[in-house]
Amino acid sequence: MTDYIAQPQSEPGTASAEDGLVILDGPNGLAVTMSPTAAAQTGQRLIAAAEIAERQITDAMHRQ
Amino acid sequence: MFTERFLRDKRGVHLERDERDRLEASITEIQLVEPRKTIVRAGEVLQQSTLLVEGIMSRHIDDRHGLRQLVAVHMPGDFVDLHAFPLKVLEHDVGTMTSATVAIVPHTELESIMEEMPQLTRKLWFSTLLDGAIHRAWIFRLGRLDAIGRVAHFLSETNVRLVSAGLSDGRRFALGLTQADVAEICGLTNVHVNRVMRHLREERLCVFRSSLVEILDPVKLAARGQFDPAYLYIALPDPRPRT
Repeated sequence: MTDYIAQPQSEPGTASAEDGLVILDGPNGLAVTMSPTAAAQTGQRLIAAAEIAERQITDAMHRQ
Repeated sequence: MFTERFLRDKRGVHLERDERDRLEASITEIQLVEPRKTIVRAGEVLQQSTLLVEGIMSRHIDDRHGLRQLVAVHMPGDFVDLHAFPLKVLEHDVGTMTSATVAIVPHTELESIMEEMPQLTRKLWFSTLLDGAIHRAWIFRLGRLDAIGRVAHFLSETNVRLVSAGLSDGRRFALGLTQADVAEICGLTNVHVNRVMRHLREERLCVFRSSLVEILDPVKLAARGQFDPAYLYIALPDPRPRT
């Protein structure tokens, strides 16, 4: 067993456009190519999930 | 001689003259196979194994949509489906990527070798264990590396394997694969590989053009792909070029 346990990524991935497609590189081993529509929808879902996650952190702090 | 590249420059498994002669004698047929032809299908019962003499072959699994994931690439000298000798049935397809020359070895011959020549048997076993080591490296590549790292790792690995086979000078080698092939090997899309290749070219690490790979900086390319050739069990001295 390694001493290092996989942790949530704190560095954002890099998104770029290539030949009418969106390429997402990283973080870590993530490497995905998406259509513009799928990329935009994924981006919106990521933002929505990030807002929920931030609220979860705030709620947890208030409970302490 | 068809077995000239088998286990060439592999650590601790030099074939003795009588072993190579026995292996040569076990070949019953030489086949020239056209590119992109499946020669073993998953599930079929096999009575023979295939030694790759020239060309490039692959093991691959297609998903339910027909999209292909290459799970192994074989270079000249590889005993491609020696696995089929004990398994009798493979769970994946085996096919050619380029035109290929293959030597057919019936399983009855391999059974005779097992009975007559235990040291040669151990070397055949080494060959399949080496395939297993390469599979582990491929799992690492897909699981831990980003797109550039995956391609850098694959090209570094291919270079060392072809140096071992006498088909690369350590910096330049012919590779009859397309960018789409590299995409299937690295779990990427074609457009993603295209972008990675441009990056590697602009960073002066590697150029892959017209079926020719030129590695401009082997050390930096290996570092970018976290490539350590230990899993290839190459005989010392290290065949990579000194920089």
